[in-house]
Amino acid sequence: MINSIIYEAQLIGFKEGIKAGLVWLVFYSYLLSNDRKSLAKSFYTGISLSLLLGLSFLLFPESPVSGDFIGNIISMSFALFLIFSGAALYHASGVDLFVFRDGMRSEFVIRTLVFSLTVIFFLPDFTGSAVYLNELAELKENTFMTAVSAAAGIMIAAVIIFSFVRLYKPFWLGSFFAFPQLLLFLAMVKLFGSGIKGISELSLIPSVQRGFIKFIHDLVHQTFVMLMVPDHPLLKKTTWDFIGTFFGPGFASIASLFILLALPALFINHTLFRPLPEPPARTNIARRKTRALMLSDRRKKAVPVIFFMVFIISAWFSYGGEKVLQVYDPEPRPVVADNGVIVIPLKDPVTDVMDGRLHKFSFVHEGEEVRVMVIKKADNSLSVCLDACEICPPSGYGQRDDHVVCLYCSTPIPVNTLGRAGGCNPVPLAADIGDGFIRIELKEIIKKWGFVNSGR
Amino acid sequence: MTNNKSFIQVRNLVKEYKTAYALRGVSMTVEKGQWINIMGPSGSGKSTLLNIIGGLDNSTSGDVIIDSTDVEALDEDHLAIFRREQIGFIFQQSHLIPYLTAVENVMLAQYFHSMADEEEAGEALKRVGLGQRLHHRPSQLSGGEQQRICIARALINSPGILLADEPTGNLDRDNTEIILELLDSIHREDHFTIVLVTHDPFVSKWGDRVLQMEDGHIVGDEFIKERVKGA
Repeated sequence: MINSIIYEAQLIGFKEGIKAGLVWLVFYSYLLSNDRKSLAKSFYTGISLSLLLGLSFLLFPESPVSGDFIGNIISMSFALFLIFSGAALYHASGVDLFVFRDGMRSEFVIRTLVFSLTVIFFLPDFTGSAVYLNELAELKENTFMTAVSAAAGIMIAAVIIFSFVRLYKPFWLGSFFAFPQLLLFLAMVKLFGSGIKGISELSLIPSVQRGFIKFIHDLVHQTFVMLMVPDHPLLKKTTWDFIGTFFGPGFASIASLFILLALPALFINHTLFRPLPEPPARTNIARRKTRALMLSDRRKKAVPVIFFMVFIISAWFSYGGEKVLQVYDPEPRPVVADNGVIVIPLKDPVTDVMDGRLHKFSFVHEGEEVRVMVIKKADNSLSVCLDACEICPPSGYGQRDDHVVCLYCSTPIPVNTLGRAGGCNPVPLAADIGDGFIRIELKEIIKKWGFVNSGR
Repeated sequence: MTNNKSFIQVRNLVKEYKTAYALRGVSMTVEKGQWINIMGPSGSGKSTLLNIIGGLDNSTSGDVIIDSTDVEALDEDHLAIFRREQIGFIFQQSHLIPYLTAVENVMLAQYFHSMADEEEAGEALKRVGLGQRLHHRPSQLSGGEQQRICIARALINSPGILLADEPTGNLDRDNTEIILELLDSIHREDHFTIVLVTHDPFVSKWGDRVLQMEDGHIVGDEFIKERVKGA
């Protein structure tokens, strides 16, 4: 038990320590190469405040902030850094986006900006880790050992970073970073190193993929739903079923990857392939040397951007790709109607529908298989729905973590929202739950199944 | 013989090989913009002296100070930068890349200095009279023309010093004169310093000063009152 706490808590501390150390190293190198070492104080203030606020969550025995909420904040802060870096890259490639440039030159504004970005970067992660450590301490009933192990993890990371810096003095790294590249690096660290549940979910990549898939799906899906005309020979829904190919997981994943890479690619295109400007110089030699320096600087600044692109592509396919597509799709168990009612036992020797996993049941009506799904929600209530929605062909749903996922278009639906009607939600069924059974009127099922399967 | 304000200062330079001395305590100074010829028989140490001044070889002891930089104290990286920025070389053999054209050979020197610029390289070749030979390969050019490419290549990055080791050693008298006239003309315009090694008395008449070397020692130092060609 003790070993397990030491291992898990140390890992959390180590991960946060390495992450903070890497960010410090790159940021400090960036400041040194730009002769702005004094701004490091704002960074130190920001990271100290984030650490204190984050650790303060360790003091609450019952965390007032849920893990889901913090997870969303972490994803939002990643998105913020990605959007910032995209805007800054676009600006650096020649488009003047910063209309308040005069204001940006103020030392106070710059210090405040560095402080704010540091807090936005570290606070969600530190808080998430503190909440997780708190849960770990409660689970293992050993708060002291958890805190000491996490601190030891941070110390080990600090020693590694400190030794690396002392041995190799890698401050030349700063010459590879301008402000946009710095933000992109932060987004990349966030993408790879964030997550609040330790080693099993180190990465934000699956959630980013799901977010993008949902976005693309909604865009394409809703557009076509608007265009559908019931009973029209060409505009009825079933005619356009092939469109599912375009918002299926493969296509949506690739399309969202391109969206993520578009701005870095634009930057690379503009900086590496745009002609060099003609520098003012008295001699040909001075002109050539200035142009060579500009070219070298361009190439160096492109390195982190190319690194980001390679990293995203490889991580997208190698790490996130599998997780985002893994869906639990149980085989439906046959049930029969008894006096016009389908009866499903809550628990039998084989199945317990209250176990939190997706359960499917099927029966044959007029030669066609009709499917019903049951899953327990976080509030311990049961959700009973058709294994189909109103929009897609009735391919059904699978389960991935705390979502059910449409097997046709990959739209993820949070389990806790099941029961809502319309759109991509599974069609809810009126059911009587009690005495160890779920009872559903056969006519209720047949009516709604016929509705979703009619190809309006 | 040494002067603290001199552009090149060589102090007590010794170069010892396993079995012999090439230089035995050589001291000399060269003023900025001066053209100095070093003469002497084979084995007198003149090429060794030139190589050490140019950072191509190390001395056993002694100092070489060029424009306040102690060349012997530079590490490999800084020595490479120093050679790139400050020194142009011409050798007896042209050492041109045979599969590159004349202009590409000059651009190669630009590339290793900063970045290639074809227009500027072409101008440099026109200045040495090869405007019609820009895209000829070395094998399509005469020895004199090849040596003119070498002059353009050596001077393309505006070095402070041109070091020339028997630059006319392979040429007949007519081509020798053409090369020396060319060097003289460019030298008068650009005012860089020339250290030229030769054993040919005809060549030694060009320039401002002649040093005589024998057996690793400087045995004579004569200023030429009137250069062969002059304004």
